[in-house]
Amino acid sequence: MRQTIAIFVDAYRELNHRRLFWITLVLSGLVVAAFAAIGNDEEGLTILHWSIPFPFLSTNFIPQADFYKFTFAQLGVGYWLAWIATIIGLVSTASIFPDFVDRGSIDLMLSKPIGRARLFFTKFLTGLMFAGMQVTVFTLASFLVIGLRGGDWEPWLFVAVPLVLVFYSYLFAVQAAIGLVTGSVIASVIGVFLFWFVVSLVQTGDGITLAWRVTNEITVERKISRIEDQESRIEKRSTALVDLKLAADGGDSEAAEQIPELERELDSRRNRFKDSDEELAEEIQTLELSRSINGWFHVANTCLPKTSETIDLLERVLEDQAGLVRPAPPSDDTVRQFGDMVGRGEFEERYEAELDSSHGPVWILGTSLGFEALVLGFAVWRFRRRDF
Amino acid sequence: MDEKTSNPPAASPPSEDAPEYAVDLHDVRKSYRGRIHALRGIEMQARRGEIFGLLGPNGAGKSTLVKIMLTVVRPTRAHGTILGRPIGHQSTLQRVGYLPEKHRFPVYQTGRQAIEFAGAMSKVDPQTCRRKADELLDLVGMSDWGDKKVSTYSKGMLQRVGIAAAMVNDPDLVVLDEPTDGVDPVGRRDIRDVLVKIRDRGACVFLNSHLLSELEMVCDRVAILVQGEVAAQGTIEELTSASRRYEITVSGPPPDWTDRNGLSITSHPGQTEGTSTLVALTAEANEIQDILDQLRRENRTIVSLRPVRESLEDLFMRYVHDPETGRAKTPGASKRKIARSGASS
Repeated sequence: MRQTIAIFVDAYRELNHRRLFWITLVLSGLVVAAFAAIGNDEEGLTILHWSIPFPFLSTNFIPQADFYKFTFAQLGVGYWLAWIATIIGLVSTASIFPDFVDRGSIDLMLSKPIGRARLFFTKFLTGLMFAGMQVTVFTLASFLVIGLRGGDWEPWLFVAVPLVLVFYSYLFAVQAAIGLVTGSVIASVIGVFLFWFVVSLVQTGDGITLAWRVTNEITVERKISRIEDQESRIEKRSTALVDLKLAADGGDSEAAEQIPELERELDSRRNRFKDSDEELAEEIQTLELSRSINGWFHVANTCLPKTSETIDLLERVLEDQAGLVRPAPPSDDTVRQFGDMVGRGEFEERYEAELDSSHGPVWILGTSLGFEALVLGFAVWRFRRRDF
Repeated sequence: MDEKTSNPPAASPPSEDAPEYAVDLHDVRKSYRGRIHALRGIEMQARRGEIFGLLGPNGAGKSTLVKIMLTVVRPTRAHGTILGRPIGHQSTLQRVGYLPEKHRFPVYQTGRQAIEFAGAMSKVDPQTCRRKADELLDLVGMSDWGDKKVSTYSKGMLQRVGIAAAMVNDPDLVVLDEPTDGVDPVGRRDIRDVLVKIRDRGACVFLNSHLLSELEMVCDRVAILVQGEVAAQGTIEELTSASRRYEITVSGPPPDWTDRNGLSITSHPGQTEGTSTLVALTAEANEIQDILDQLRRENRTIVSLRPVRESLEDLFMRYVHDPETGRAKTPGASKRKIARSGASS
């Protein structure tokens, strides 16, 4: 325990020494100050004492407390903490492991009575202090702003702390492994950003191909329904034709006159049915393709950490626990365009249901932490076996 | 004398419950990828209460050996003990102090923080750490600099703080890799004094250095490592005894006799004109009395008489030179296959 405390105290000194840590903290303060400066009233958006007419943001549309919670989750966490502060954090912590394994300093650590695995994991945890302190300070300040300005003291906001920490730990694990293996700060920085880019691509790909799949499913289902409808009409018409023919055979001249017209209509319906059937076959093919591509993306996404989906969990928690009313998903433009192709209402309902079933919190956190455990396992295995 | 198994008197006898050897290594081997043999079966013993010097040319395997002792490098094979416990036993490191070569303290630490951090990592309690930091900063002459960042230190100051950090846990074994590297002559003397103090406390100081004159001044025993093997081990006295002789400079040409009472004597013209130098290969003063009597009988003037023995540098050079070619042995780890049993691991 004494050793662990010493390593953490030392890590705190290291943080203090890093200018980027303080720069980020000051910027966090400015973001919270900006957060405190804005608000909404009956007219729209307010900035300090100025009011900007913006009906969609007025308290008639969104209650003041929800406005702050939504701004906190979307802008404060979603953009500031999950993007800008993370980028600064990853640049700032990139040297932790390369410095740690540098000849001359690693000898001093390994010659102490502490196991290599424990040493590695403690060092890894100290690396998370950067993100931990930033998110804690930011969330605490935001909690105060929302409480004082919005009048809602919402403890669920603090879910942001573990969520952002878990999100950061996915990336920091990769950075630590690269730093440990290569001993290079530049490789750590480039490597982790490249990884983040790939992960983002896969997540976006998974989301878009899921939307494509859902769109195709809706299209195919509608087509099948239409074909069934056509089939039933053809059946009814065929029955009517048989009845007419029987009547005509019985000497009904009026019925006999209607037969050619009904036969033409039936031919036409059968042709349309045939065309629809061919179209359905093509659409099923497209559906299968979209299922297959989405399946591959989903497998890849399952294997990799889900960075943005982890951050999005904050909104889900705030929605479920703090009554946050958020705009209907999906937020991605491309996904929305798919929705427009088949009609928003059903698409959004189906898309949301798919997300809930295949992208649930357990799947998001479980598979992401599984990936992190694998990366850390590899890193610690390498660290334990390596000669310095 | 068997150079590798000499038994010099211990500088400080071990306590009854402690093993005699602080470092007792047997068959320590290290191969890299099975091809490069950095260490080829090291047998080495360093006692408690002595300063033990490890010498060797670059690439002889000194640092690898030290790192194996400190668990920084994993051996291919190693038997033996450090402070009575098997090599690699983690808790034993609590009683070991280490100053690596070219060590690097984090730039954000002060000297005092570096010492206290080293103590905490060795499981020393915070109060003791603080007290020891004060004492050790004073001991290494860094009291005035203790609260300044190590980034402002000179190389010599870093070495001083490094030694203090290695001593914060009152270790029974202190391993110092090039401790006087970059230190000025005054600092070197101070460090020598510190080493003697550590030894007198009953600890073993294991010193790895290139500076032979430094080692000669403080070491009770030394080992010479050449190409991953111990070429010689013992007290400097023992290792140089075979080379001890008397050189007698006398007037006149070299004498025509070549032995006296069974003692072989070689002679050659002296450095000064009209003189000769006789060399008697003995360390015993009474054995040369007959030679002196004979020289007086021949009415020769005895210009000088001096006992001569190899310096540590001479000894070192002797071992690192190939006797067949007369040239220095190739530095670096051996890549050749080793024929002896089990050496190809």
